[in-house]
Amino acid sequence: MRSFRVLLLHELRSTWLSWTTWATWALFLSLLGTIHWYAILACSRTPMPWTPTEAVFRWFPLPLLCILPLLTMRSLAEERRAGTLGALLTTPASALAVVAAKFTSVWLTWVIFWISFAIFPAVAAHGLGASTDPRIFDGVTLGGGIAFIALSGLLHVSIGMLCGSRTRSPGLAALMTFICLLGLTVSGGLLDALPSDGWEWLGWLKEPADHLRTVGHLEDFASGIVDSQPVVLYLTGCALCLGLTVLAIETAD
Amino acid sequence: MADDATQPDLALEANRLTKRYGALTAIEDISFKVGPGEIVGFLGPNGAGKSTTLRILAGRLLATSGRATIWGESVALEPAKAKQHLAYMPENNPLPEDLRIREYLELRARLKGVEEDQVELRVDQSMHDCDLQGRAGMLIAHLSKGFRQRVGIADALLAQPKIILLDEPTIGLDPHQILGIRDLLRSLRGKMAVLISSHILAEVEQVCDRVIILNRGRIVAQGRTEELRRDLLPSLGHRVVAACTHAELERLTRAMDAQSTCREVRMTGDGWCEFRVVLSPESPARNQLLSSLVSAGLRVREVAEEQAGLEDIFLAATRRDNREART
Repeated sequence: MRSFRVLLLHELRSTWLSWTTWATWALFLSLLGTIHWYAILACSRTPMPWTPTEAVFRWFPLPLLCILPLLTMRSLAEERRAGTLGALLTTPASALAVVAAKFTSVWLTWVIFWISFAIFPAVAAHGLGASTDPRIFDGVTLGGGIAFIALSGLLHVSIGMLCGSRTRSPGLAALMTFICLLGLTVSGGLLDALPSDGWEWLGWLKEPADHLRTVGHLEDFASGIVDSQPVVLYLTGCALCLGLTVLAIETAD
Repeated sequence: MADDATQPDLALEANRLTKRYGALTAIEDISFKVGPGEIVGFLGPNGAGKSTTLRILAGRLLATSGRATIWGESVALEPAKAKQHLAYMPENNPLPEDLRIREYLELRARLKGVEEDQVELRVDQSMHDCDLQGRAGMLIAHLSKGFRQRVGIADALLAQPKIILLDEPTIGLDPHQILGIRDLLRSLRGKMAVLISSHILAEVEQVCDRVIILNRGRIVAQGRTEELRRDLLPSLGHRVVAACTHAELERLTRAMDAQSTCREVRMTGDGWCEFRVVLSPESPARNQLLSSLVSAGLRVREVAEEQAGLEDIFLAATRRDNREART
């Protein structure tokens, strides 16, 4: 436990002292700020069935695919390339403690990124006056959405860690993470879109499609509906990916 | 960590370690022991399996078969316990570029289980031992190769382990730094067991109590330098300078037993001849070379016994193994 604590503090410190983290954060905020801005403009022209905050969360796969790989790629692949991961494992710290500390650090950073998004609705509400339209600062959607991102982030970050453990190239780790996350977020929608009425033999895909509709899960959470299915999916998926990462690290040269 | 009351007889034991990568055998049947406080040199040509063996002992690589124990703990079965007694400095010593020396050593001390109130003290002590005090605040990225090696050795000393494994510790160091590291290693004798892999034979000879010689993944010789000298180079060489002619030298050669040799090295212009006499272990002249030369009618100016160095022993051991492999 001491190793985990020491490594986590070191990882957090290294992450937040790195200019790449701040550059990635700036990119993240620029992306979400732009989406939020256009959502407010759209809502001001025509009444929309969604709030600007909901609109931003519907674009959730975009930062997931573009930003998260940038956070996870350095964690293990970079250390494997430099050889410092092997040196770390010559101490009494276990591979589990190393992976858990790196995972927690990236996960916390990812959640902090999303919490920082709250600045935009807050600034908009302050600038435009919350009395103009109380939906400008949609606290329930914001809280539910960030809670979902924290939960789903367990699986998404662990996928990034697993990809990073398989290569010494940070660029390749980011690409592998992008492909895996794309598969995970898009597959649910693709399976759901299959014309299963005409193709009865594809009927068995309905259930997995329901499990994998990430954006649907986010909308449920944002509207206050907590289903146990995605909770189990993300928790077990995270445990599986981290377990495989520990095995990969223990056997890596 | 184990206290002295529970000190095992052996600091480190490798028992029939074998590592195979598919059809390639990196090391085979490697067995040796290192006692507490002993300094042992690990020699071998490139690709002999030195680093592979050290990585197995450090718990960074699983052996295909065999058993490695560190301070009585199995490296494969109880890696965390074994690593508590061990420090390992790998070849090329990878270090995080974005940390300062002190930050790095403090992190390593905490990971190695040094008590929080002792961390600063141990870091200061290690930096002092490795002459790093003036550079505590320097970024590792800005360090020269020599200072990076020193940081690696300081890291190895941090938790005062029972065993230190050093893979090429003086590679890239200048002669002054090598002397410093040599003195430092000597100061560890009796306190920690040290296993040093090195290509620099003179360094190993001066520092180590014993040597282990690897060739093509197998141990070809191990023991104290004198034992290996007796075993591998039993013939005794002498450099002789005497006043003699070619004919007298030939007569002397014929008079020797079949296993001994006498070879002219050079003839000086003023009538002195320098030659080399190599006596077999059975030669009757072994203990009375000078009187034998005088009774043969030679005027002797100089007789010097040639002490075979570790380099000769190393070459003899690896050549013998290569010869055996060919036959």
